[in-house]
Amino acid sequence: MNVVVTALLDLGYILIFPGFLFCFLCGMLLCGIERKIVAKMQKRVGPPILQPVFDFFKLCGKETIIPAGTSRTVFLAAPVVGLAALVVIQLFIPIFNFTAFSGNADIIVILYLLLIPALAEIYGASSTGSPFAGVGLSREMVTIISCELPLVLVLLAVGKAVGNATGSGVVFSLQTIAAYQAENGCLLFKLSMIPAAIAFLLIIPGETGTHPFDAAEAETEICEGMLAEYSGKPLAVFKLSHAIKMLTMTTLFVALFLGGLGTGILLADGLIDFFFCVVITVCVVALIDASTARLRIEQIFKYYWTVVSGLAAISLVLAWFGL
Amino acid sequence: MFQKTIIESTGKSPWLFHINAGSCNGCDIEIVSVLTPRYDAERVGFKLVGSPRHADIAVVSGPVTKQSLPRVLRTLEQIPEPRCIVTCGSCPQSGNVFRDSYSVAGPLSKYVHVDVDIAGCSPKPEAIMDGLLLAAKILEEKRKTGNMEATLPNPYVPVKAEEAKPAEAAAEKAEEKAETKGEEK
Repeated sequence: MNVVVTALLDLGYILIFPGFLFCFLCGMLLCGIERKIVAKMQKRVGPPILQPVFDFFKLCGKETIIPAGTSRTVFLAAPVVGLAALVVIQLFIPIFNFTAFSGNADIIVILYLLLIPALAEIYGASSTGSPFAGVGLSREMVTIISCELPLVLVLLAVGKAVGNATGSGVVFSLQTIAAYQAENGCLLFKLSMIPAAIAFLLIIPGETGTHPFDAAEAETEICEGMLAEYSGKPLAVFKLSHAIKMLTMTTLFVALFLGGLGTGILLADGLIDFFFCVVITVCVVALIDASTARLRIEQIFKYYWTVVSGLAAISLVLAWFGL
Repeated sequence: MFQKTIIESTGKSPWLFHINAGSCNGCDIEIVSVLTPRYDAERVGFKLVGSPRHADIAVVSGPVTKQSLPRVLRTLEQIPEPRCIVTCGSCPQSGNVFRDSYSVAGPLSKYVHVDVDIAGCSPKPEAIMDGLLLAAKILEEKRKTGNMEATLPNPYVPVKAEEAKPAEAAAEKAEEKAETKGEEK
């Protein structure tokens, strides 16, 4: 009996609350709010906030064209794998005190899982053999590599800062980080963690592929790159993945730097968490998106490995000296 | 289960793909002005996409030159159903000043089913916007009926004389009433 209850609870986690349904709604809302804010900043009326939902359902009703000479299985499986990986990440990220699944080293799991959506997109794109997709996927690979170094440095810095306080080396458990922040206040207000927080905020546009870091999906020069050959339902799933990735990165920021503001009531915590996600999306993603032009791929690489990695490294060094 | 949502969404999120078939760039500039802040087509869900596979509405401008014809047809075939083909400007509709030129293969309707023609040289952004909205409605109709050749009645066909009479008579009556009221006052 107990097993059945646990299994049902896990299924609920995966399908409803921090899982698929929650991801779908919040991701779409975040994406819609982002588009609205960008429009407002360009003095436009902008699309309705539910526009991404309309786009998703419209794409579901379109014909799915599979180009000749394409590996059918890879082409159709890639979007689903990417989406599944993102939903799994969401299960590991704590919403203040609540975590669906937790472990001793969930940060490392998240690091690997964050790669899967991008890799799935690369596999799917390469299966078509389209030259646009080829250019797009090579750029996407460089973008992944650029984001990876500063991301690891930020996570190490946070882990070390919490590890110092709890006396256990580097902490790789988000649960422990959340518990530490609940007792000692947010890490964002710790002086040594501010550069790391800024670095993480700068990684978010790179991971979600918005301006100026969208060289991989440049619709004006390479026909949206990796998505060039996708249409219909697989494209809808990819668009959904992009929306959820925004949610994933922002909730990860809240978990790492703004934990400890929770109230203990799950519903209120969820709302507060989503509120912070919206604030971060508006302040970071939308603002940068509306005010910058696209960078070339080597500029993206240079920027992430010097400026952003530098900021993260400062935090890491400060944390290592116990500041 | 989601069929109703899908039908409703189809008209609300039409994505555009723009094909230049030998245009003089006049219509292209007007299409751009539809998408920029002044007319802001994104407020009704229009979005310019980079790949024909993502598009719902293909906007063709230019008189369809012999060089561009095979490419235009191939691009149009790549757009997944349901799709709408809109000609922008007089060139793809009739040939305009390039009609019967040795290098022009148009009009486009000789080769594919065209859903909406936006006339003008070049059409005003308001006219383009109107045509695109009509195309979005046709798109929804196609999704609803499942008939990929579905059309809607043209809202701009002049009303026939016999049909117009009752309306005119009503208008005259209304005018008379207004006059009599004015006199009373």
